[in-house]
Amino acid sequence: MRTKFGVLVAAFGLVCVVAPAIAHHGFDTEYDANKKFKHEGVVKAVLWTNPHMRVHVDVSEAGKTVTYNMEITSPNSVQRQGWGRNSLLPGEKVVFEGYAGKVDETRGSLLSIAKADAPDKPLFVQGGPEAAQQGFPGAR
Amino acid sequence: MKKFFAVFIILAGVSLGYFAHLQAQGAVQQIQVGGSPVVPDNLVTSQPVPRLPDGTVDLTGPWVGGGSNGNIERDGGLKAGELPLLPWAKELMSKRQEKDEPYTACLPMSVPRVNPYPWKFALSYTAKGLSHIYVLHETGDAGAHRVVYMDGRKHPDDPIPTWWGHSIGRFEKDTLVIDTVGYNDKFWFDSRGTPHTEQLHTVERWTRINWGRITNDFLLDDPGAFSKPVNLKFTGRLLRPDLKTGGGELMEFICLEGNEYGAAAGFVPGQGTSIK
Repeated sequence: MRTKFGVLVAAFGLVCVVAPAIAHHGFDTEYDANKKFKHEGVVKAVLWTNPHMRVHVDVSEAGKTVTYNMEITSPNSVQRQGWGRNSLLPGEKVVFEGYAGKVDETRGSLLSIAKADAPDKPLFVQGGPEAAQQGFPGAR
Repeated sequence: MKKFFAVFIILAGVSLGYFAHLQAQGAVQQIQVGGSPVVPDNLVTSQPVPRLPDGTVDLTGPWVGGGSNGNIERDGGLKAGELPLLPWAKELMSKRQEKDEPYTACLPMSVPRVNPYPWKFALSYTAKGLSHIYVLHETGDAGAHRVVYMDGRKHPDDPIPTWWGHSIGRFEKDTLVIDTVGYNDKFWFDSRGTPHTEQLHTVERWTRINWGRITNDFLLDDPGAFSKPVNLKFTGRLLRPDLKTGGGELMEFICLEGNEYGAAAGFVPGQGTSIK
């Protein structure tokens, strides 16, 4: 119930937000726009930490488990858009897209993440390199 | 109580109806995150500019924006290349790399830098009246706070350079004028690495042009790095006050607690703190 309300608030917030989707300032310094990927996996951890939250997702690849360390925006930003403690939890099956790190390809900038049983309804969408090209002043 | 319940039911109905509408359109429950929600353009005059009981204009905010971030020329209303940088400063700038900017190591943003997180003017009073204005940035203070002395004092003759400098302020009618010297040269004006020297002198003129917007007419005067003073103009937008969580307030942000910037590309942040 609380999550649903949070989503409702977010739905309203979405309409009224003027500050555009944040270009990930510094995206080009760490991540490669040509290395876009999409995976399905199980959330291992959701780190409510600054300056960027991280979602660790376990993905089965060729019989092994690879833990992806996906970077989002800050806890403050997601809270302002309606996220709460229970918005995304360890153990949940998710489908996610992102851009891999230039050196460490198990790290990525998260583009979107959705629960596996509702892939068309992402919990999170973040401007990637496309947004950066719009010349938005940038974010961290 | 009945009235409240009725209103609640109506609001719930409207909310659910709108939500269903979004669902029906195939619109997703996506949350475009990053940055801070602001009062939209069509609501900036929906309320009057607030004033303190003594008539002073209330500049508190919190505000989002109002300075430079990615590109001080673009952000401040100049054409590309219009900043009159001296040759040595242009050369330094060309060598700087975005990945090295001090801000990424959780060091202060300083002036006129902002990021998409809110900040506010916090007025501080003693028995003698308005003595200080603190500029509180949600993320870019690095544990310090910017102090503007409002008691009429002058700048010290030879200040030790600091990240935020020495600021003295006064009101000229409804405009807050902040005059600052004593900056160090360690911060960057933008993520491109626009440099400055310890000779930097800035004058900000903050005017709340309506409920939802504040302008910063900014004078950049640094004969050490620029061939002449430059005027820039920035606009800050009021943080939306009506969201359930964090609405209208600054939130805690401990930058150093989990800064993994650079790990994905094999570098360490903040290598550009020195001009050398």
